[in-house]
Amino acid sequence: MSAKVPRNFRLLEELEKGEKGLGAEACSYGLADGEDMMMSNWNGTILGPPHSVHENRIYSVNIHCGPDYPDNPPTIQFVSRVNIPCVDQRTGKVDPTKVPCLAQWKRDYTMETVLIELRRYMALPQHKKIPQPPEGSTF
Amino acid sequence: MALPKRIIKETERLMAEPYDYPHVPLTVFGASSDSLSLCISRVSGINAVPHEDNLRYFDVSIHGPAQSPYEGGIFRLELFLPDDYPMTPPKIRFLTKIYHPNIDRLGRICLDVLKNNWSPALQIRTILLSIQALLGAPNPDDPLANDVAQRWKDDEPAAIQTAKEWTRTHAMT
Repeated sequence: MSAKVPRNFRLLEELEKGEKGLGAEACSYGLADGEDMMMSNWNGTILGPPHSVHENRIYSVNIHCGPDYPDNPPTIQFVSRVNIPCVDQRTGKVDPTKVPCLAQWKRDYTMETVLIELRRYMALPQHKKIPQPPEGSTF
Repeated sequence: MALPKRIIKETERLMAEPYDYPHVPLTVFGASSDSLSLCISRVSGINAVPHEDNLRYFDVSIHGPAQSPYEGGIFRLELFLPDDYPMTPPKIRFLTKIYHPNIDRLGRICLDVLKNNWSPALQIRTILLSIQALLGAPNPDDPLANDVAQRWKDDEPAAIQTAKEWTRTHAMT
Protein backbone atom coordinates (compact mmCIF):
# COMPACT_ATOMS: atom_id res chain seq x y z
CA MET A 1 0.00 0.00 0.00
CA SER A 2 1.32 3.42 -0.86
CA ALA A 3 1.35 6.66 1.09
CA LYS A 4 -1.97 8.48 1.22
CA VAL A 5 -1.54 11.82 -0.56
CA PRO A 6 -3.38 14.53 1.43
CA ARG A 7 -6.13 16.55 -0.25
CA ASN A 8 -4.21 19.76 -0.86
CA PHE A 9 -1.16 18.06 -2.36
CA ARG A 10 -3.45 15.96 -4.56
CA LEU A 11 -5.16 19.13 -5.80
CA LEU A 12 -1.77 20.77 -6.45
CA GLU A 13 -0.81 17.74 -8.57
CA GLU A 14 -4.05 18.02 -10.52
CA LEU A 15 -3.53 21.77 -10.93
CA GLU A 16 -0.05 21.27 -12.37
CA LYS A 17 -1.27 18.55 -14.71
CA GLY A 18 -4.10 20.79 -15.86
CA GLU A 19 -1.84 23.84 -16.33
CA LYS A 20 0.72 21.91 -18.34
CA GLY A 21 -2.00 20.38 -20.51
CA LEU A 22 -0.77 16.88 -19.78
CA GLY A 23 -4.29 15.54 -19.58
CA ALA A 24 -6.74 14.37 -22.20
CA GLU A 25 -7.25 16.82 -25.05
CA ALA A 26 -11.03 16.72 -24.94
CA CYS A 27 -11.25 18.13 -21.40
CA SER A 28 -9.58 20.87 -19.43
CA TYR A 29 -9.81 22.27 -15.94
CA GLY A 30 -8.29 25.00 -13.81
CA LEU A 31 -8.74 26.86 -10.54
CA ALA A 32 -11.69 29.28 -10.52
CA ASP A 33 -9.83 31.60 -8.13
CA GLY A 34 -6.02 31.55 -8.32
CA GLU A 35 -5.78 32.93 -4.79
CA ASP A 36 -8.02 30.39 -3.08
CA MET A 37 -5.60 28.61 -0.75
CA MET A 38 -8.13 25.80 -0.25
CA MET A 39 -8.45 25.20 -4.01
CA SER A 40 -12.14 24.33 -3.66
CA ASN A 41 -13.68 25.71 -6.85
CA TRP A 42 -12.62 24.77 -10.36
CA ASN A 43 -13.77 25.47 -13.90
CA GLY A 44 -13.87 22.61 -16.34
CA THR A 45 -14.64 22.29 -20.03
CA ILE A 46 -15.73 19.30 -22.05
CA LEU A 47 -15.46 19.21 -25.81
CA GLY A 48 -18.61 17.57 -27.15
CA PRO A 49 -17.90 14.05 -28.48
CA PRO A 50 -17.84 13.54 -32.25
CA HIS A 51 -20.65 11.71 -34.12
CA SER A 52 -23.23 13.04 -31.65
CA VAL A 53 -25.49 16.08 -31.25
CA HIS A 54 -22.74 17.47 -29.01
CA GLU A 55 -20.09 17.54 -31.72
CA ASN A 56 -18.15 20.84 -31.83
CA ARG A 57 -19.87 22.19 -28.73
CA ILE A 58 -17.87 23.25 -25.70
CA TYR A 59 -19.52 22.70 -22.32
CA SER A 60 -18.48 24.62 -19.19
CA VAL A 61 -18.89 23.07 -15.76
CA ASN A 62 -18.21 24.18 -12.19
CA ILE A 63 -16.42 21.62 -10.06
CA HIS A 64 -16.41 21.82 -6.29
CA CYS A 65 -13.87 19.82 -4.26
CA GLY A 66 -14.99 19.76 -0.63
CA PRO A 67 -12.77 19.36 2.45
CA ASP A 68 -13.06 15.57 2.19
CA TYR A 69 -11.93 15.33 -1.44
CA PRO A 70 -10.54 12.95 -2.76
CA ASP A 71 -12.02 10.56 -0.20
CA ASN A 72 -15.37 11.74 -1.55
CA PRO A 73 -16.10 12.81 -5.13
CA PRO A 74 -16.35 16.42 -6.26
CA THR A 75 -19.74 17.93 -7.08
CA ILE A 76 -20.32 19.00 -10.66
CA GLN A 77 -22.68 21.60 -12.06
CA PHE A 78 -23.05 22.40 -15.74
CA VAL A 79 -22.89 26.10 -16.63
CA SER A 80 -23.68 25.42 -20.29
CA ARG A 81 -27.14 24.04 -20.92
CA VAL A 82 -27.12 20.38 -21.86
CA ASN A 83 -29.92 17.86 -22.08
CA ILE A 84 -28.73 14.51 -20.72
CA PRO A 85 -30.42 12.39 -18.03
CA CYS A 86 -27.73 12.86 -15.36
CA VAL A 87 -28.10 16.67 -15.41
CA ASP A 88 -30.89 18.45 -13.51
CA GLN A 89 -32.64 20.58 -16.13
CA ARG A 90 -33.38 23.39 -13.68
CA THR A 91 -30.00 23.77 -11.97
CA GLY A 92 -27.43 22.05 -14.18
CA LYS A 93 -26.32 19.88 -11.25
CA VAL A 94 -25.03 16.42 -12.06
CA ASP A 95 -26.82 13.59 -10.23
CA PRO A 96 -23.92 11.53 -8.84
CA THR A 97 -26.04 8.37 -8.66
CA LYS A 98 -26.35 8.34 -12.45
CA VAL A 99 -22.64 8.61 -13.26
CA PRO A 100 -20.71 5.43 -12.41
CA CYS A 101 -17.39 7.06 -11.48
CA LEU A 102 -19.20 9.36 -9.02
CA ALA A 103 -21.51 6.65 -7.67
CA GLN A 104 -18.60 4.24 -7.14
CA TRP A 105 -15.93 6.80 -6.38
CA LYS A 106 -12.36 5.67 -5.73
CA ARG A 107 -9.70 7.81 -4.10
CA ASP A 108 -7.37 7.67 -7.10
CA TYR A 109 -10.01 9.10 -9.45
CA THR A 110 -9.44 12.74 -10.40
CA MET A 111 -11.42 15.66 -11.81
CA GLU A 112 -10.17 14.53 -15.20
CA THR A 113 -11.68 11.06 -14.64
CA VAL A 114 -15.05 12.73 -14.07
CA LEU A 115 -14.85 15.05 -17.11
CA ILE A 116 -13.84 12.19 -19.41
CA GLU A 117 -16.64 10.02 -18.10
CA LEU A 118 -19.23 12.80 -18.57
CA ARG A 119 -18.02 13.14 -22.15
CA ARG A 120 -18.37 9.40 -22.67
CA TYR A 121 -21.85 9.59 -21.14
CA MET A 122 -22.86 12.17 -23.77
CA ALA A 123 -21.70 9.82 -26.51
CA LEU A 124 -23.66 6.77 -25.31
CA PRO A 125 -26.03 5.43 -28.04
CA GLN A 126 -29.08 6.32 -25.92
CA HIS A 127 -27.82 9.89 -25.28
CA LYS A 128 -26.07 11.00 -28.42
CA LYS A 129 -29.24 11.91 -30.34
CA ILE A 130 -31.24 13.68 -27.59
CA PRO A 131 -32.27 17.16 -28.85
CA GLN A 132 -30.18 19.88 -27.26
CA PRO A 133 -30.87 23.47 -26.18
CA PRO A 134 -29.38 26.23 -28.34
CA GLU A 135 -25.62 26.28 -28.37
CA GLY A 136 -24.13 28.76 -25.91
CA SER A 137 -27.18 28.93 -23.58
CA THR A 138 -26.53 28.63 -19.86
CA PHE A 139 -28.33 27.40 -16.74
CA MET B 1 1.37 0.34 6.44
CA ALA B 2 4.67 0.40 8.31
CA LEU B 3 6.40 3.75 8.37
CA PRO B 4 9.98 3.59 7.03
CA LYS B 5 12.68 3.68 9.73
CA ARG B 6 14.13 6.83 8.26
CA ILE B 7 10.89 8.76 8.85
CA ILE B 8 10.51 7.40 12.38
CA LYS B 9 14.10 8.41 13.15
CA GLU B 10 13.61 11.91 11.80
CA THR B 11 10.42 12.36 13.76
CA GLU B 12 12.17 11.17 16.93
CA ARG B 13 15.05 13.52 16.29
CA LEU B 14 12.68 16.44 15.84
CA MET B 15 11.17 15.46 19.19
CA ALA B 16 14.55 15.48 20.88
CA GLU B 17 15.17 19.13 19.97
CA PRO B 18 15.07 21.53 22.92
CA TYR B 19 11.57 22.70 23.69
CA ASP B 20 11.39 26.39 22.87
CA TYR B 21 8.19 27.44 24.54
CA PRO B 22 8.32 26.23 28.14
CA HIS B 23 5.34 28.41 29.03
CA VAL B 24 3.12 26.54 26.55
CA PRO B 25 2.05 23.18 27.94
CA LEU B 26 2.48 20.21 25.61
CA THR B 27 -1.22 19.52 25.81
CA VAL B 28 -1.85 22.64 23.72
CA PHE B 29 -0.61 20.61 20.78
CA GLY B 30 -2.77 17.66 21.76
CA ALA B 31 0.35 15.79 22.69
CA SER B 32 1.34 13.36 25.37
CA SER B 33 5.02 12.66 25.75
CA ASP B 34 4.95 8.89 25.35
CA SER B 35 3.30 8.50 21.97
CA LEU B 36 5.20 8.74 18.70
CA SER B 37 2.02 9.54 16.81
CA LEU B 38 1.61 12.67 18.89
CA CYS B 39 5.18 13.84 18.82
CA ILE B 40 6.16 17.45 18.37
CA SER B 41 9.26 18.80 16.79
CA ARG B 42 10.79 21.69 18.60
CA VAL B 43 13.51 23.03 16.36
CA SER B 44 14.08 26.69 17.08
CA GLY B 45 11.00 28.60 15.99
CA ILE B 46 9.71 25.60 14.11
CA ASN B 47 7.05 23.06 15.01
CA ALA B 48 6.09 20.01 12.99
CA VAL B 49 3.29 17.73 14.15
CA PRO B 50 2.35 14.62 12.17
CA HIS B 51 -1.35 13.95 11.63
CA GLU B 52 -2.49 11.03 13.74
CA ASP B 53 -4.15 9.35 10.77
CA ASN B 54 -1.27 9.99 8.35
CA LEU B 55 2.24 10.01 9.80
CA ARG B 56 3.68 11.24 6.50
CA TYR B 57 1.59 14.43 6.69
CA PHE B 58 2.76 17.18 9.05
CA ASP B 59 1.22 20.42 10.28
CA VAL B 60 4.09 22.86 10.42
CA SER B 61 4.50 26.32 11.88
CA ILE B 62 7.47 28.59 11.34
CA HIS B 63 8.16 31.79 13.23
CA GLY B 64 9.18 34.69 11.02
CA PRO B 65 12.88 35.43 11.57
CA ALA B 66 13.93 38.48 13.62
CA GLN B 67 14.86 41.59 11.61
CA SER B 68 12.80 40.40 8.65
CA PRO B 69 9.44 41.76 7.46
CA TYR B 70 7.95 38.50 8.80
CA GLU B 71 9.13 39.03 12.39
CA GLY B 72 6.38 38.38 14.93
CA GLY B 73 4.35 36.28 12.50
CA ILE B 74 3.63 32.59 12.87
CA PHE B 75 3.23 30.97 9.47
CA ARG B 76 1.36 27.71 9.00
CA LEU B 77 2.55 25.20 6.42
CA GLU B 78 1.75 21.63 5.44
CA LEU B 79 4.36 19.00 4.62
CA PHE B 80 3.99 15.59 3.01
CA LEU B 81 6.58 12.85 2.62
CA PRO B 82 5.82 11.03 -0.65
CA ASP B 83 6.30 7.28 -1.18
CA ASP B 84 9.79 7.68 -2.58
CA TYR B 85 11.04 10.02 0.16
CA PRO B 86 13.96 10.48 0.83
CA MET B 87 14.87 9.82 -2.80
CA THR B 88 12.57 12.72 -3.66
CA PRO B 89 12.10 15.84 -1.53
CA PRO B 90 9.19 16.45 0.83
CA LYS B 91 6.25 18.36 -0.62
CA ILE B 92 5.59 21.53 1.31
CA ARG B 93 3.55 24.70 0.99
CA PHE B 94 2.45 27.69 3.04
CA LEU B 95 -1.14 27.75 4.30
CA THR B 96 -0.78 31.28 5.66
CA LYS B 97 -0.81 33.99 3.01
CA ILE B 98 2.62 35.59 2.70
CA TYR B 99 4.07 38.37 0.54
CA HIS B 100 7.41 37.01 -0.62
CA PRO B 101 9.05 36.85 -4.09
CA ASN B 102 9.77 33.13 -3.84
CA ILE B 103 6.35 32.04 -2.59
CA ASP B 104 3.31 32.15 -4.85
CA ARG B 105 -0.35 32.89 -4.18
CA LEU B 106 -1.10 29.26 -3.41
CA GLY B 107 1.79 29.05 -0.94
CA ARG B 108 4.08 27.08 -3.23
CA ILE B 109 7.76 27.64 -2.52
CA CYS B 110 10.61 28.17 -4.99
CA LEU B 111 13.67 26.83 -3.20
CA ASP B 112 16.54 24.94 -4.85
CA VAL B 113 16.77 22.28 -2.14
CA LEU B 114 13.12 21.39 -2.70
CA LYS B 115 13.81 20.78 -6.39
CA ASN B 116 17.06 20.08 -8.25
CA ASN B 117 19.36 20.46 -5.27
CA TRP B 118 17.52 17.98 -3.08
CA SER B 119 19.71 15.29 -1.56
CA PRO B 120 18.58 12.33 0.56
CA ALA B 121 21.10 13.56 3.14
CA LEU B 122 18.79 16.51 3.78
CA GLN B 123 15.92 16.11 6.22
CA ILE B 124 12.61 17.61 7.26
CA ARG B 125 14.46 19.62 9.88
CA THR B 126 17.02 21.07 7.44
CA ILE B 127 14.32 21.89 4.89
CA LEU B 128 12.27 23.79 7.46
CA LEU B 129 15.37 25.72 8.53
CA SER B 130 16.06 26.53 4.85
CA ILE B 131 12.53 27.87 4.48
CA GLN B 132 12.95 29.98 7.61
CA ALA B 133 16.21 31.30 6.16
CA LEU B 134 14.43 32.08 2.88
CA LEU B 135 12.05 34.32 4.83
CA GLY B 136 15.08 36.20 6.13
CA ALA B 137 16.69 36.46 2.70
CA PRO B 138 14.17 36.88 -0.16
CA ASN B 139 15.68 36.25 -3.58
CA PRO B 140 13.85 38.34 -6.23
CA ASP B 141 16.23 37.10 -8.94
CA ASP B 142 14.75 33.59 -8.78
CA PRO B 143 11.08 34.45 -8.44
CA LEU B 144 7.99 32.31 -8.27
CA ALA B 145 5.58 35.18 -7.69
CA ASN B 146 6.59 37.44 -10.59
CA ASP B 147 4.58 40.50 -9.59
CA VAL B 148 6.00 40.39 -6.06
CA ALA B 149 9.56 39.95 -7.33
CA GLN B 150 9.23 42.86 -9.73
CA ARG B 151 7.98 45.11 -6.96
CA TRP B 152 10.85 43.92 -4.74
CA LYS B 153 13.31 45.02 -7.42
CA ASP B 154 11.58 48.31 -8.30
CA ASP B 155 10.79 49.56 -4.82
CA GLU B 156 12.19 47.37 -2.06
CA PRO B 157 11.08 49.56 0.89
CA ALA B 158 7.48 49.51 -0.37
CA ALA B 159 7.60 45.73 -0.93
CA ILE B 160 8.94 45.22 2.58
CA GLN B 161 6.16 47.43 3.92
CA THR B 162 3.56 45.26 2.15
CA ALA B 163 5.21 42.11 3.51
CA LYS B 164 4.95 43.57 7.04
CA GLU B 165 1.29 44.43 6.52
CA TRP B 166 0.48 40.96 5.22
CA THR B 167 2.31 39.47 8.21
CA ARG B 168 0.16 41.54 10.56
CA THR B 169 -3.05 40.69 8.72
CA HIS B 170 -2.54 36.98 8.08
CA ALA B 171 0.16 35.65 10.43
CA MET B 172 -0.68 37.30 13.75
CA THR B 173 -4.27 36.21 14.23
